[in-house]
Amino acid sequence: MALYAFDGLSLSLGGAEVLSIPELEIEEGEVLALLGPNGSGKTSLLKILAALLAPSEGRVSFCGSPLGQGCALARRIVYLHQQPYIMAGSVSYNVEFGARSRGLGAREAAERAEAAMRLLGLEGFARRGHRALSGGEAQRVALARAIASGSDVLLLDEPTASADSASRELIARAIRRKAEAGATIVLATHDEELAGALGARALGLARGRIAEKEAR
Amino acid sequence: MSEAFRLLLGGEAETWGIVGRSLGFAFFSTLFSFLPGVLAGFAAASLRPRWKRPAAAFLNALTALPTVVVGLFVYSLISRSGPLGFLVFLYAPAGVVMGQTFLALPIVASLVYAGLTKLDPRFRETLLTLGAGRWRRLLATAKEARSVLVAALVAAFGRVAGEVGVCMMLGGNIRGSTRTMTTAIALDASKGEFERAMALGLVLFVLAIVVNLGVHALAPREG
Repeated sequence: MALYAFDGLSLSLGGAEVLSIPELEIEEGEVLALLGPNGSGKTSLLKILAALLAPSEGRVSFCGSPLGQGCALARRIVYLHQQPYIMAGSVSYNVEFGARSRGLGAREAAERAEAAMRLLGLEGFARRGHRALSGGEAQRVALARAIASGSDVLLLDEPTASADSASRELIARAIRRKAEAGATIVLATHDEELAGALGARALGLARGRIAEKEAR
Repeated sequence: MSEAFRLLLGGEAETWGIVGRSLGFAFFSTLFSFLPGVLAGFAAASLRPRWKRPAAAFLNALTALPTVVVGLFVYSLISRSGPLGFLVFLYAPAGVVMGQTFLALPIVASLVYAGLTKLDPRFRETLLTLGAGRWRRLLATAKEARSVLVAALVAAFGRVAGEVGVCMMLGGNIRGSTRTMTTAIALDASKGEFERAMALGLVLFVLAIVVNLGVHALAPREG
């Protein structure tokens, strides 16, 4: 059974149709790259997958149940904004928050956060405040928070958009590790090189419609 | 005016006693109104969009209620024949604090609501997709909006410290017991004794400036 299945999905915002995807399936453990120019509907699609936006028409199922019901969507997925939101507080507070939100105790959350920070090259950042992070560092912190949460469905909106080459490598490595561990990853990106390096199936979007679909 | 300064700088006991009492009443009423006010603000901010506007209008309407109306409402509760008459709060400091608590509560709620609606929408989305439970979301939001909470606290304090209707109706302006800066000013001015009224007016003026500067400094920045 597909993890996500779309049936006649359409999304309208402010009276204009921004997304129309009659049919799409995303398999468990798949890495899917949403490619396309700005305004092609990549972020809207990710937000629908994260249940942050409800389709205007059609339905999306998750694990065979309507999205938002069934197999504990909120305990499995995590969505990263293109410009991630880092909460007021230190880096360790933010990363541990991901693990604590999933019910982990303080010690286990701290261990998991430390491992995630190591993976993202954030050693020595634990006490750094949220205001003192560059765009690339903020993206790494947000990804570390997502990984520390233990989610196995990662919805990533332009995860390397603000990253320099060093941050980009660390982010790519962390996503690859999650994919190798069996996580389902859907990422919106302009970075075709990243999509290729992750071995992602490409889905081209243009003006809210599927323009190009790579065979599985 | 020089006599007013003399009363203040000379540390005249009754004048400073009135100042201390006023600030004490304002402190306790702000304290008691804070938790319910914050929870009411959070509750209003978490309503569905269609209910948010009426809730905001209702809270704003409560903040605009004349203080004597609030005083009248609390009077009906704590007067001898009222449901809380057995507490014997009327014309006692507890009555003033209770009335000022009712006055401060909607101010806290409305400012907290306004501050929360200005939080970055990505914050809420981040909490939701991380799967944070209700209490974790509440605590994280309180931490995120702590400057809003402090600003609400300061504004409520300033409002109750400078009100006269509740103090007069529920406290009765009893010397050494419920006389506050505002009721003392009203009394002294009515008797034509302006020295202490001017001195207390100066204290209220300075307090208003400090409170407004505090709120301005703590209010969340736009953009």
